[in-house]
Amino acid sequence: MNAAQRQPAETKFEPLLQFEMEMGTFLSDWHHCDQLSTYMARMISHNRTDPVRHSNFFSSALNELLEVSFRGGSPEGRIGCAVYRQGPMERVKLSFPCPPRQRRFFREAVARTRKDDAYARYLDAISTDLAPSREVILLDLAINFDAEIRLEEDEPSITIIVDLPLEGIVS
Amino acid sequence: MSTAILSAPFQAEFDANSQEFAFAGVIRPRSVDEISHSISTFRNAIEEARGVLYINVKRLAQMNNTAFHAFSRVVLDACRTRSDIRFVVVTSSVVGWTERMFRHLGNIEPQITVEVYDSKFYPGQSFVEDTSFIPILRTQTKMTWRHERTILPRHGMRPGIVMADICCGIGDFAVLVRKEFQPARIVALDHSRASLAYARDVATNFGISDIEYTYGDASEMLLEDNQFDLVTCRHSLQIFNQPDLLLKELYRICKPGGRVYITNEKNSHCLGEPRAQSIQWTYNEVAKLFSHFEMDVELGPKSRRYLADAGFDDILVESFMVTNLDGEPQDFADVITAWENVYAGEMAVKRGDPPEFIERFRQGFRDHIFAALHPKGYAGWPIWAASGRKPL
Ligand SMILES: C[S@@+](CC[C@H](N)C(=O)[O-])C[C@H]1O[C@@H](n2cnc3c(N)ncnc32)[C@H](O)[C@@H]1O
Repeated sequence: MNAAQRQPAETKFEPLLQFEMEMGTFLSDWHHCDQLSTYMARMISHNRTDPVRHSNFFSSALNELLEVSFRGGSPEGRIGCAVYRQGPMERVKLSFPCPPRQRRFFREAVARTRKDDAYARYLDAISTDLAPSREVILLDLAINFDAEIRLEEDEPSITIIVDLPLEGIVS
Repeated sequence: MSTAILSAPFQAEFDANSQEFAFAGVIRPRSVDEISHSISTFRNAIEEARGVLYINVKRLAQMNNTAFHAFSRVVLDACRTRSDIRFVVVTSSVVGWTERMFRHLGNIEPQITVEVYDSKFYPGQSFVEDTSFIPILRTQTKMTWRHERTILPRHGMRPGIVMADICCGIGDFAVLVRKEFQPARIVALDHSRASLAYARDVATNFGISDIEYTYGDASEMLLEDNQFDLVTCRHSLQIFNQPDLLLKELYRICKPGGRVYITNEKNSHCLGEPRAQSIQWTYNEVAKLFSHFEMDVELGPKSRRYLADAGFDDILVESFMVTNLDGEPQDFADVITAWENVYAGEMAVKRGDPPEFIERFRQGFRDHIFAALHPKGYAGWPIWAASGRKPL
């Protein structure tokens, strides 16, 4: 899809909230993932039908994404996270600096969330892996949160774009 | 942002008597090592268990994939080595993601089943969550508000506070409070989807968008600790079979120094003149009927004890009588009609009462209405309003 085609759909998403910080600062404390996801979820959910439960769901999803960037990001540069809304859908755009080798993993993991065997892979990972891989976390979002996931690359950063139809799931 | 909850430790505990392992709180470890202690407790619990082990995740507010995988592995490994054991994961419809995430375990191992617990947690629930209760609640609040608007400031209500109305029903109390006292934030929680839908409709029609109506179980709330200046819970302790459990939750979400305000009835003390005897007979029977379904509509005067036992101090108790003279006598009559319909028309029928009983039962309500509408009559409905402060 080229930029001109994408434009009309993109404009319908209205920006709600965003943060940016030094990657080094972000990586200095694991609890940032929990704190940022809880805070952002609370802020963006207040005008949803069921703010408490929407916030709980959203925080779950966002925390996983932040944990992914915590584990896979490199310390130089900045991490940015923006949340948009269109109707019942929230869009999260998470950008962070990512070394080239990791980038390839992300590309493949994101592509797999759309494959027919996604659920089989997910179950297989739960029953055999010792710890969840990045791939499983993205599968978790696709399967448990009905998320649609895309990747944009803008060296040295990547942007994971996740559409979450949570309003429909929650209420 | 409340930092209290973020750093709040999670709980992972085993109750050997009920063979139940319960996870609660927020579990977001960076690595499995951080939760190794809980994992080994979990493993030991499974080793000890015979038959069925219940895994209770009803109060699990958050669990990241790292923890989910680690705990799942323990269960799945156990399934492979122990054919004699079954696992029942008990999730809640309130914490939606747990249901979605844990159900996969059942697709991997047939020894694991996943249940949603809160479709049935106390005996009278089906009556109270039904739409037939809506007219009752609507007329009741209209009548009690006249009194409560002057009572509430004595119990901690004031502008700018953060408050929660737990078991909010159709949300009319929250709307009235918002208008009269302008709190900074109101969360209104109930477990009846029908009532919440009604509440949201009303709010939309009045252009109100800042009351946070939420679906939840009052005895296992997603709301965080120590958050609210005032927690109100009206006419609801009396319909739980374990009011102390509910009160514990109200205490938990209240800020230290904040107050919990409860209202309850003593139904057998409803009264009227003329036809006092018939009225009294019926309301004595109302109390018995509710106790058949394990609800205590005589709870009002016990409020002081309940609050004290739950750890509150500075307890205030007062009572007021809603009467036919408060406003339009017809409003009072409407409340009684709504009671008659549900109590005699549904609950007594469900208990299996014979038609003669139901007829006499109905007569008392009709006599109460008669008293209310009689030009020289008097009809009353007593209510106890009580609150306690959570110690600092
Ligand atoms: C008697 S009504 C009182 C409603 C409201 N406070 C009022 O005074 O109009 C009791 C309410 O408690 C709600 N309820 C019952 N069990 C509940 C639970 N476990 N969690 C949350 N709400 C519950 C019912 O749905 C019902 O709306």
